[in-house]
Amino acid sequence: MRKVLLAAMALALLGCQSARRGEPVIGPVTFSEKESRGQVLFDRHCHKCHTHGEGGLAPSINDKPLPKFMMRLQTRVGMGAMPSFSREQISEEELDALLEYLVALRRAGR
Amino acid sequence: MRARVVSALVLAATLAGCYILRPSSGGGQTDFTPPRKLNAADVALPPGYRIEVVASGLTFPTGVAFDAQGRPHVVEAGYSYGEVFTTPRLLRIDGSTPVEVARGEKNGPWTGVAYANGAFYVAEGGQLQGGRILRIAPDGRITALVEKLPSHGDHHTNGPAIGPDGQIYFTVGVATNSGVVGEDNFQFGWLKRFPQFHDIPCRDIELNGHNFESRNVLGDGRANTGAFVPFGTQTRAGQVIKGQVPCSGAVHRVSPDGGQPQLVAWGLRNPFGMAFGPDGALYVTENGYDDRGSRPVWGTPDVLWRITPGAWYGWPDYAEGQPITNSDYRPPGKSRLQTLLAKHPGQPPKPVAVLGVHASANGFDFSRSAAFGHVGQAFIAEFGDEAPTTGKVLHPVGFRVVRVDVTNGRIEEFAANKGDKAGPATKVGGAGLERPVAARFDPSGNALYVVDFGVLLQDKQGAKPQAGTGVLWRITRG
Repeated sequence: MRKVLLAAMALALLGCQSARRGEPVIGPVTFSEKESRGQVLFDRHCHKCHTHGEGGLAPSINDKPLPKFMMRLQTRVGMGAMPSFSREQISEEELDALLEYLVALRRAGR
Repeated sequence: MRARVVSALVLAATLAGCYILRPSSGGGQTDFTPPRKLNAADVALPPGYRIEVVASGLTFPTGVAFDAQGRPHVVEAGYSYGEVFTTPRLLRIDGSTPVEVARGEKNGPWTGVAYANGAFYVAEGGQLQGGRILRIAPDGRITALVEKLPSHGDHHTNGPAIGPDGQIYFTVGVATNSGVVGEDNFQFGWLKRFPQFHDIPCRDIELNGHNFESRNVLGDGRANTGAFVPFGTQTRAGQVIKGQVPCSGAVHRVSPDGGQPQLVAWGLRNPFGMAFGPDGALYVTENGYDDRGSRPVWGTPDVLWRITPGAWYGWPDYAEGQPITNSDYRPPGKSRLQTLLAKHPGQPPKPVAVLGVHASANGFDFSRSAAFGHVGQAFIAEFGDEAPTTGKVLHPVGFRVVRVDVTNGRIEEFAANKGDKAGPATKVGGAGLERPVAARFDPSGNALYVVDFGVLLQDKQGAKPQAGTGVLWRITRG
């Protein structure tokens, strides 16, 4: 438990890279077919608060090194002001694609 | 396993930050010392595109249109949030010094302009005399096609757009945030001038009779106010409010010769940008609810709609096609919202695209040139948030041009300031964009003109617009 918490703090401190991923800023990014489906889902469900993944109403997520299982958990249960998303709103298959997109987007900033 | 879940939640909370505890950091929450500096190199674009300044020193510009010779003309609003009245003007941008073509009355803001049949058509917001649709001849003569539109409130008469049927399409935004006149409208300024003004439905509606208590800003003590009635007036369950046209929160159309406006669609909050798509349909950007006033709504995005004639789009009980009773729209620390209408006129459609909360998605146009690229996609100017007046944001939202694939709702950044963080130049540094308010292609389709309203600061007291800081930009490819 303590190791995980220390890792969490370390990861939080590491999350200081720019969250910007737009084509004008980092150039074109090529996504797989699954990641592209994930982008459409992101833009439908997430973009409004985590605008372009950079943040807006809500925090940025492009620069947060959360593992997929944690993002999945947060999406399903919600946290603080963030609402939860049921399987009726985003199916498991759709969430897989969405998380693949987010990981690809995060990687694109390196 | 349990420790893993707990750790995950701690980690997620650490990385996500706490919305409640963090202060607002909107794009307008900054300082400005004139003059505005300009450097096109500070604007980021996709590879192969370039941007340049066409005109600067404009005061509250809101729209651009092109005459028969292809010359750009800009409208200056003549009014800005912050209760700043100037003179609305139509300017020809011909060389380095703009030439005044026409000037309007103290009844701004002029919110947009279109050109057809040898004349300009302007949407006059109508803060003092009500909204109007104006026809401006090339010699500057102004004729009103429609007058006394109900737009004295928070939002105005917007547009116009020329339809494939030759009709002049325009919109009227709602008077309030979410149907109830309150203290926020007093802060805007109009409630002092028009204490009886309120939202007007386009069709008869039946109320649930919810009333909202607030400080009595027009007298002493407390006031109770219902929906679709003047400040301090209560409503009861089952009460019917008569509909009429023209009305609040709706798309209308009128003949280029004038006459009685016809209703096209309603239930829209602030439908600002208008353009006809390659499919011949009318598309509209709508500014979503704010977290303010007697009935605050949280977390509702701006959206791009494809307009179906006759449809109801959900205001004041739906957002982005979803019921406002959804817990997602409950402001933190407050109760879940209740519906104002006892019966809804229909099921709202689904939006074409869901844009950022408080992005202020405004004027837009569709690319039709293969040389420019992205044919069929909508290029939308995002004015940017007005936090904290409209609600808290953790990062600036908007302040850029995005392109939207209307076939699947994908949103891509197209033009924005360079740097590690997005936002207006006054916030993030450099000398690039401030507040893009309209985007329109020239007649060739090869150049995208972006109207930049200029510097508009925000604090808890409201907007502080800076005259003479507006810019017209041009984006080309190759």
